[in-house]
Amino acid sequence: MKWMAGVVMAPVLLLADPQGSLGTSAVEARGDQLFTQGCAVGYCHGTAGSAARSPRLRGRTFEKDYLVKVIRDGIPNSAMPAWGDRLTDDDIGALVVYIQSLAAASVEVPAPAETASLAPPVAVKESELAPEVRQGRELFYDPQRLQRCSNCHRLQGIGTPVSVDLAKLSKQQLAADAVNALRYGRPRRVRGLVLKDGDRFPAVVVERGAAETRVYDLKGVPPVLRSLQSTEIQGLQQESGWRHAQAVKGYTTDDLKAVWAFVNWAAQR
Amino acid sequence: MHRMITLLMAVGVGVWAQDGSTKENWPAYGGQNSAWRYSALDQVNVENVSQLAAAWVFQTGDNDGGLQSTPLVMDGVMYVSTSHNRVFALDAVTGKRLWSYIYELPKTFTTFYGPWNRGVAVADGRLVMGTLDNHVVALDAKSGRQLWKVNVEDANQCGCNITAAPLVARGKVIVGVTGGDSAHRGYLNAFDLKTGRHLWRFWTIPGPGEKGHETWPGDSWKFGGGATWMTGSFDETLGMVYWAVGNPAADFYGGNRKGDNLFTDSIVALDVETGRLKWHFQQVPHDVWDWDAAYENVLVDLPVNGQVRKLLINVSKGGYTYVLDRTNGAFVTAWPVAKNINWISGVGPKGELLGRNEPVVGRSKLICPSIGGGRSWNHGAWSPKAGLFFTTGIEWCQEVAAQAETPVEGKTYFGGTFKLVKTPDGKSGGHLAAYNPMTGKAVWQYDYKYPLLASVLATAGDLIFTGDAEGDFFALDAGTGKKLWRFNTGSGHRGSSITYAVNGRQYIATPSGWGSAVAGLMQQFWPETEQFPNGSAVFVFALPEQKR
Repeated sequence: MKWMAGVVMAPVLLLADPQGSLGTSAVEARGDQLFTQGCAVGYCHGTAGSAARSPRLRGRTFEKDYLVKVIRDGIPNSAMPAWGDRLTDDDIGALVVYIQSLAAASVEVPAPAETASLAPPVAVKESELAPEVRQGRELFYDPQRLQRCSNCHRLQGIGTPVSVDLAKLSKQQLAADAVNALRYGRPRRVRGLVLKDGDRFPAVVVERGAAETRVYDLKGVPPVLRSLQSTEIQGLQQESGWRHAQAVKGYTTDDLKAVWAFVNWAAQR
Repeated sequence: MHRMITLLMAVGVGVWAQDGSTKENWPAYGGQNSAWRYSALDQVNVENVSQLAAAWVFQTGDNDGGLQSTPLVMDGVMYVSTSHNRVFALDAVTGKRLWSYIYELPKTFTTFYGPWNRGVAVADGRLVMGTLDNHVVALDAKSGRQLWKVNVEDANQCGCNITAAPLVARGKVIVGVTGGDSAHRGYLNAFDLKTGRHLWRFWTIPGPGEKGHETWPGDSWKFGGGATWMTGSFDETLGMVYWAVGNPAADFYGGNRKGDNLFTDSIVALDVETGRLKWHFQQVPHDVWDWDAAYENVLVDLPVNGQVRKLLINVSKGGYTYVLDRTNGAFVTAWPVAKNINWISGVGPKGELLGRNEPVVGRSKLICPSIGGGRSWNHGAWSPKAGLFFTTGIEWCQEVAAQAETPVEGKTYFGGTFKLVKTPDGKSGGHLAAYNPMTGKAVWQYDYKYPLLASVLATAGDLIFTGDAEGDFFALDAGTGKKLWRFNTGSGHRGSSITYAVNGRQYIATPSGWGSAVAGLMQQFWPETEQFPNGSAVFVFALPEQKR
């Protein structure tokens, strides 16, 4: 019953327009549509906010600012994703109006057909990227290849930071024709690690302590962060035999040009 | 000893061909890699189970999502994993903490398929676990020290992660992935247990040029789901790994993936050394109901028309139990574990679906069972002694409406909404039944007002253990289904109980802690369950010393 107090909190227009005949109804309808397509689905908030794995929204009150923030930014380390990259501010506002309208909703949930319209799917913000940059981005992170740039380079929050932070390259480095470097580079930070059990592999040292050494093992793909006890290590050699060519062997020259265009674009943001 | 003799007489030579029973240890997620969840221990039995008493309790301290894991026991040490990838090693006699490990999660990421973890694997002195941010880590089982860690795919990109226990076979860590309700292409990976190096990947959705790719139009194969979100099985003699592959995405809308959508909703058998496909059996071609084939594959050897065959039992989310020949994938039989099934009218003699009843776009339709499944992922148990397969089932339906959706990599991709509703006969709830695996005939059935969402444990003491939503952990007579003992742990059961022995004393251990996606869904239908408390503890029981 305490949730019914939420009626008072609901926007005045909604109270004044229970039948949805005013302008707000269009906003609310848009929110309803977006909710059905993005929030009610699967294991999320359930039809009309009736609860599933994610919390019930029906019959509850939420502050507008809180809803805007949570929808836009998500809740870190929870199942609530950020929608700011997929929804416009107007759409987020429409969702807020709709969710606040659920505060006064009865416990009885409408059948899904009443809300599942044939409207277009959730809007995806149009990318402003140049075609080559967009192609480079796809290649950089391409999930269909086991060997891809993001295995060793973290850029825009995605990837494993084994190697150089490409966002911190100098202007001169970015301006250079990188295809040759990507093809024939011999990264000095890749060393040859030899273990006492006879195993040897190219490695990037992350941390070297008296008792334990942490390295990225580059023998396979993806790289493995290994914590080795000093007693396991025979020695660390300057030359590993590893070449950057191994990391880009699945990419054509045009692919690498596109990747570099993306790196340039990302580094300047 | 007389118990063992009875056991052999019950099922003939089959028991020698594939012994999946556990004894002192509980070494793998399903007990052994044949996934029986059956223990040969019989110190606790139908005669004395009423004397069973709490020996110790371990509180993990992380209630979020409950406690859904299967503890493992090796040589007197219990290993239990919790939500957020915490691992505890405990003295299995006293519950004393030996070491703990807290996985360092990134500060920001979305745990759409989390935050729970369903178990770890332990072998050759190493403990391995999949993580919420889609890594695999290996720890020293003696100290908890991290040995290696590898990123399978960036969780912020794929929207996927790992919640299931890995399977270890021949020194390989074989581990699946979630992501079946997202725009993601599923896979199964093998890593070297010692070094963490990647050994092979099996894509559950074939790429261009591969067999089965023709069942995916356009780019739909890139976003088609096919998660491997539970744990597989392994037959050492055949060298085959068995995994059940989840639903295609979008779950309810198949308009942009017209075709069979291989290998979703399939059981796949892979060569353990190479990951190459040996055979597959697809339960649901072009699934539009979210009927994963994700659950356990129980490997048993049983007579079929008088001849012992190597079989595999898999209960699907759509509510049917499939029995296949695990040497070649041949269909043997299928039978339902729920009464309320209307998405098909039945399964034909070759395993084909009869009378498909599909959701439609923009219009609500009654489909039974609900998306929560005719059974959830909680594991069944096979008792060779009883010759019975014990599994839960759920009676519930949903009003579902499909909707067209455009995939966005790593984002949710369901293609529909639903509302849970009662079954047409007005009765809904759960049950646990004892089935003849070849006929599907139930010897007995135990009914419960809510779905039963904990795994089942069978023992040579003629006992069946499981727990319920209200916190009762209980023992049934395997032969009759009669309740012989119960203990309320204060929070509902969503994990998997085990049994083990140390210094000649048998223990029964159960995770307790309500949570999970399906537990969340229950609120739609049973609003009072919103008030059911979370928890996260391991309860361990034994007979009083003088009673043994």
